[in-house]
Amino acid sequence: MLPLLKRGEVLCSIQRMSVAPIAITGMGCICAAGRNLPDSMEAILRGERNPAPPVRFASNHPVRYPVFEAAEFEAPPDLLRTSAFGLHAVREAVADAGLDRKTMGALRVGVCVGTTVGTVLSEETFCRGYLAGLIPDMTPIRRILRGNPADVIAREFGLSGPRQTVVTACASGTDAVGIAGSWIRAGLCDAAIAGGADELGRITYIGFISLMITDDSPCKPFDKHRKGLNLGEGAAMLVLASERVLRRSGMRARSFLLGYGSAGDAYHQTAPQPDGAGLRSAISEAMATSGVSSTSVAFVNAHGTGTPDNDRVESRVLHDMLPGIPFLSTKGYTGHTLGAAGAIEAVFTAACLEIGKIPANAGFETPDPDIANTPVREVTTVQGTVALSESLAFGGNNSVVVLGKA
Amino acid sequence: MSGMDRIVIEGVGGVGGFGCGVSDLTRALTGSACSPGTLAVSTESGTVPIPAFRADVSRLEEFLPVRTLRRIDLFSRLGLLGSYLALADANLPDEERTRLGIIIASGYGATGMTYAFLKSLIDDGDICASPTCFASSVHNSAAAHISIQLGAKGPNLTVSDYHMSVPSALATARIWLAEERVQRVLFGAIDELSDLIGYIRYRTRGAPPAAPMTPLRTEMETSIPGEGAAFLLLAREGAARGGYCTLDASTTGSLPFPGLPFPEPGLLVLGADGCRASGRRYAAVAQNARVACYTPLYGSMPAGPAFDLAAAALILKGGRVFPTPGGAFLDFPATVPAGGDPVGADRIACITLAGNEAYGLTTLGRLNSL
Repeated sequence: MLPLLKRGEVLCSIQRMSVAPIAITGMGCICAAGRNLPDSMEAILRGERNPAPPVRFASNHPVRYPVFEAAEFEAPPDLLRTSAFGLHAVREAVADAGLDRKTMGALRVGVCVGTTVGTVLSEETFCRGYLAGLIPDMTPIRRILRGNPADVIAREFGLSGPRQTVVTACASGTDAVGIAGSWIRAGLCDAAIAGGADELGRITYIGFISLMITDDSPCKPFDKHRKGLNLGEGAAMLVLASERVLRRSGMRARSFLLGYGSAGDAYHQTAPQPDGAGLRSAISEAMATSGVSSTSVAFVNAHGTGTPDNDRVESRVLHDMLPGIPFLSTKGYTGHTLGAAGAIEAVFTAACLEIGKIPANAGFETPDPDIANTPVREVTTVQGTVALSESLAFGGNNSVVVLGKA
Repeated sequence: MSGMDRIVIEGVGGVGGFGCGVSDLTRALTGSACSPGTLAVSTESGTVPIPAFRADVSRLEEFLPVRTLRRIDLFSRLGLLGSYLALADANLPDEERTRLGIIIASGYGATGMTYAFLKSLIDDGDICASPTCFASSVHNSAAAHISIQLGAKGPNLTVSDYHMSVPSALATARIWLAEERVQRVLFGAIDELSDLIGYIRYRTRGAPPAAPMTPLRTEMETSIPGEGAAFLLLAREGAARGGYCTLDASTTGSLPFPGLPFPEPGLLVLGADGCRASGRRYAAVAQNARVACYTPLYGSMPAGPAFDLAAAALILKGGRVFPTPGGAFLDFPATVPAGGDPVGADRIACITLAGNEAYGLTTLGRLNSL
């Protein structure tokens, strides 16, 4: 039974009604922490993390920035690594939901996937050949054009519902989950596969270094000495279903998607608004649509990239809006997986709610006097029935989902 | 989606090969000549000019100071100009802009900046790669510029599903309005013709013909690449102050033919863009329908279906069909009404096909009164 918002407990000025909960019946994940969700959860609760300079690609940059690669994962040659990550996570999520192809074929199942690189015509070997006046092989470009992650998943499973690839930078995965929930409520589909996927490559690696927001040591979200993010890669997918489908199919709910909110900063291309107004609006909308009060919130899985700006703004907003509620960033275990981050953190959030405990915020040692609150420093038992997962992104996108215990 | 207010297209803005704004689009649709320009493509045998519908964004200076535009690339300029034109067309007061939701659909995103970043990395080395180009290469860069310039702090989304981007994103725009997340959504589709896109197009489909596009002549490849931005200001009926027509439905999916679930419309606007492979699929869908196709006015691009919607909105407002450029061809199994013919019913459906099975279908309705 979900605790409802009591009279007078309105958390925000957003005038939206609560929406129907959407069941999360299956979850899958691949990232540097593990090749599936149970392994990843065990690793992060053990406090394991293994950032290291990239091994899948080379760079002549003099500094070797650590990253979180998904070890020993090889994509088939005809498939984008991003889409291969997505498919890997979907297979786990679908199996976890107890769905088979026949059952999925009888339903109208949508696919909504967030990514940053999965639809970008960015291929270095091809461009080098083009710039050199050669006739570069078109295979990599064709692979991209055939590799839209939502299309790949829909084709692989023969799904007939709506498809959408969301490209709101680092908020993509969170947005994809929230949008898929809206599709189901609106009757566009009976169920949906939603999440995010992103591979790490040289172009992204060099790009973030050029912005001078990467840390040359393991990242330290919310720490006084934080210097930036470490990049990561992977995917996470959730199977979402309407109540009707849940009853009919025999699936069980592991968790619920209760609310979603998003808002723009309208401030800067790459920096968050200093007062966090956009994030405040997103949290307000997510809480209002979930219909739950802040007293029910067990914890917040923060975006927590480890960049000075992000962590300062985000912690200030959490301090103001959800004071005293435990929060953490899991990017110390996975790196920043960009378009996949919101989805990976959503499945971690749901899995933590199930077991009632959250991992330590890896990398945090020294409190920052500019930050009024501190993240959890050890594995912590949490009370409460709901949790928030937040994403902030280039372009000033802020997105939040509220997940509830089954 | 039952029980929701109707959605109204309050304003239209567009820039493309036809010109800039509703008046240029109307002029082109009415039958004015609309000739493509050229795009210089670097090939192994030197630079080759290919026909292409280019967009002129100089009118953006009517809306923003030149100084503001200095560091804004073509992709985002296209989006900004489309946005301002749609808002001006709808006469939306400035104070209402802060509450807008923004949804952008793009097939390929900011490919000019993507290529520029790669070039900086290749030419100058990993240590000197351009941060400005990298930051501007993300797909949601145009949406960010639009929200910053308009001060729009509502939800903000960018979708990239290649040729299905427009119908896919429109479905989400309808949901935002139905959920009352926002009263209005500024919806836009943007694609730019960068060096990279021009070269890929040249390699995959060869040089476009110099002859006009004839998408209803399905045995020939006649597509000419285009670039531009088409924007629609969408409003819940209760909030709308007038407008062109209603946006009744937008769906995507994959179905074998026959069996597309579109209602019997007065007119079916085809997104056929002169590509021979998809031309046959369009012919199969259009069997015995009344059809029109306006892609020869703006060219072939993933953002094209948004221009189709803009044309359909103008038709529904005026009540008369615009002529299909190039007219009918004998082997095309549908009726192609002449310019000036009545729409014939209260609805227009716009259809986009991609690949072997994907479809996007958007239905617009006549706006009787508000």
